[in-house]
Amino acid sequence: MSHGGGGHAAELYPENQILAIGTILAIMGMYISQFFPQVSMLLGGLLASAAIVAGANTTRKVAAYGLGTGVPSIGMLSLGMGIISSVAGIYLVNTVVKILGAGSELLYIIPIVVIVISVVLGYIVGRLTVKPIGMKIPVMVESMTKLSLMGALSIIGFCTAYAGGFLPNIIIPGSIENGVMALAFIAAGMGILHPFNACLGPNESHKRTLTLAVACGFLTWFIFSVARLDVVSSIASIVLWAVVYKEFIKQSLKDACCVYYTPEIPKREM
Amino acid sequence: MVIGLLIPFVEITLAGAIINASVHFVPVGGAPAAMATSTGIGTGTTQLAAGAGFTGLMAAATMAAQNGIDIFNPLHWIIILLSGAVGSMIMLGLTMLIGQLIYVFGVGVVPAADKCERDPITGDYQKSYITPGTTGHAIPTVCFISGLIGAALGGIGGALAYVALKQLGFSSEVAGIMAVGFFFMNAVLASYNIGGTIEGFHDPKFKKIPNGIVASFVASLLTGIIVVVMSLGI
Repeated sequence: MSHGGGGHAAELYPENQILAIGTILAIMGMYISQFFPQVSMLLGGLLASAAIVAGANTTRKVAAYGLGTGVPSIGMLSLGMGIISSVAGIYLVNTVVKILGAGSELLYIIPIVVIVISVVLGYIVGRLTVKPIGMKIPVMVESMTKLSLMGALSIIGFCTAYAGGFLPNIIIPGSIENGVMALAFIAAGMGILHPFNACLGPNESHKRTLTLAVACGFLTWFIFSVARLDVVSSIASIVLWAVVYKEFIKQSLKDACCVYYTPEIPKREM
Repeated sequence: MVIGLLIPFVEITLAGAIINASVHFVPVGGAPAAMATSTGIGTGTTQLAAGAGFTGLMAAATMAAQNGIDIFNPLHWIIILLSGAVGSMIMLGLTMLIGQLIYVFGVGVVPAADKCERDPITGDYQKSYITPGTTGHAIPTVCFISGLIGAALGGIGGALAYVALKQLGFSSEVAGIMAVGFFFMNAVLASYNIGGTIEGFHDPKFKKIPNGIVASFVASLLTGIIVVVMSLGI
């Protein structure tokens, strides 16, 4: 029942629970990609999809209030902040290591630094949308923080999975300088903004939106698997996507009031 | 060393404010404009600003990559910014022109603005041409000019952010992708300030522009600090 500021449909799972699971899985995925590069796309990509699902869920929560500018804007804002935080995290840790002469073990905290920067950036931008801009949405600040976090995690998650690690000497040539990060920007952005944009309306249900979010996460994973020419994860992701998407269509047909297959209007009066 | 970091820092902070201001000029009509029941281009602020800004960014990046162009030379710096502005103006100008052709010859409406009695530029009466129950149609002269000004500012803002990142020593790829993220952040902040549709600089909503600029200024200041500290680690 959530449309244009008209309150919310019942939640299947609490938002914070999905958010926590998404964050933990995405971080796990990054470390798995770093330490086991041979399965980086298979497991890292799969776990990075969790960040997309959590981001789509937060989009649903905040966009149900009616933003006035359409749902896509918030997905793009989330990814805009996310891309700044993820590139910043990589280079900032590099600065500390190079200038302060800290040990190179410090580079392993890059995902944590990315999370901290994205949360700070998201919080400040969220405050700015409330004052001076004056968005009257009660959950704006916390949602902006969460969206910035999920945007950053999905971008760096897929980039890490593609490059096979998040250390600067792996990810900068492997994902940033060849432009894969631009793919992560738009593909993950679509995954975050599309599910609620497609499902919103008077009969929106959390289950259906989440199912579509999972499908979008797998589809993003598939795009990256193909880009990396990884046969095993391409097949795994497209099969998983097909299963989830079939479930989504089934739910849509079930939730639709009635599906009539109307016959053609007769050419002449009987 | 400090001056070398300070100039890009100032540039990126200003770039955010300029990008935010530019979005307020672009005539955005959203879904009603797509049905020709309101003035402007029939899509959202973010999409339009992003389209114009990216084209500007591409034009600026192409210019910056030419042989013999030195980003630290003030004259070349101006040329890069201007090429960004022109690229962006061509993109938005063509979008408005084709949109206008469809509105006039396809939908069959008369371009008319609802937010002003007379068009501030041509001086033509507007009210008598507006269909009852709608808030204007298509893209009247004032909106077109406003859109071109907005596109020029957007292109300059995007180019300024790109040049600042290049001056800090980032490679073109990193500077490009960071500028895209930075552009989206400021464009969406502006679109939240507008909140839906705007006709251009004659629209009453245009008076909210200082709020947007302040918000973008603060957000860009923070991004500027992050970016300058980052650049030390290249």
